Amino acid sequence: MHGEYKMPGGKLVVADFDVRDGKLTRVRISGDFFLEPDSALTMIDVALEGLPADAGNTRHAAVVRAALGPNVRMYGVSPEAIAVAVQRALEPAA
Amino acid sequence: MNRTRWNDYKWQLVHALPQAPALHMALDEVLTDEVAARRRPPTLRVWEWSSPCVVIGRFQSLRNEVDQEAAQRHGIEVVRRISGGGAMFIEPGNTITYSLYAPESLVAGMSFQESYEFMDAWVIDALQGLGIHAWYQPLNDITSPGGKIAGAAQTRRGGAVLHHVTMAYDIDSAKMLEVLRIGREKLSDKATQSAAKRVDPLRSQTGRTRAEVIEKMLATFRTRHGLTASRLSPEELEQANALAASKFATAAWTGIVP
Repeated sequence: MHGEYKMPGGKLVVADFDVRDGKLTRVRISGDFFLEPDSALTMIDVALEGLPADAGNTRHAAVVRAALGPNVRMYGVSPEAIAVAVQRALEPAA
Repeated sequence: MNRTRWNDYKWQLVHALPQAPALHMALDEVLTDEVAARRRPPTLRVWEWSSPCVVIGRFQSLRNEVDQEAAQRHGIEVVRRISGGGAMFIEPGNTITYSLYAPESLVAGMSFQESYEFMDAWVIDALQGLGIHAWYQPLNDITSPGGKIAGAAQTRRGGAVLHHVTMAYDIDSAKMLEVLRIGREKLSDKATQSAAKRVDPLRSQTGRTRAEVIEKMLATFRTRHGLTASRLSPEELEQANALAASKFATAAWTGIVP
């Protein structure tokens, strides 16, 4: 599944993943945003891996935010924008 | 961290002969680390490209961004840089690319947005001297009434900041659109019109040669901040060549976000 979201005032966030037994799997978040340090991208993918697909935006965003902690700096991307990209992949027609 | 100023440093200029895309990626990593370790003074590097390429950002999906079959057909190499941001389509002579390597203290206390604008204030000045009404467009663009001129990206490593920018001098939009996949979602943004339309290159805007534009830019930097001609040390070049081979020319790095 593939979803894209251009964060208002930010950059493009892309979510690619499969859903197996109702859970997100093989999650790949990507885009033209900025993250410091760059290892934070893997932390985001790992945090989303295995989450119930139907947990909802708020929950997906909260899990990403908690995984990143206070020391990761984001520019043009946010946990909420990532959650929207995931949601769009799940509901391509929406 | 106390804020330092441009003029606290003896800025060095590195402007070498054309180099391969993977070596440019490696030089950015090596020189950022050399400045972080204080083995090299803060440096402005102007890039010359030996071959065409697509440079994708650290967090971009290779598959989503690049039509690899089209890239191969046109003999265009694909490399990934260490900073975030978007894909760039490079043909020698069509872009002006530069990097700034500085201690992070130069941008201490600034938001990312402020630091981007700060690192390119001299370029806005130089463009105005060339008759272009240019300004900084957050998050990371330099733009003009005619359209986008340049895109910037930063990354921070070990106490140094790398700020690099690619400016469109001339552009083969048709070829660019064949090689880069530019999604509908991106084009949906009102501020981000079609990639072909939104870029307004320096050649048509200034009527000057690429070398003249670079000379004007360097003169502006020299006047504002001071600039001394310098070159890569044999050790830096050796290190960068090794890193180009072991990292930046590998499928593992280019495909790190598949």
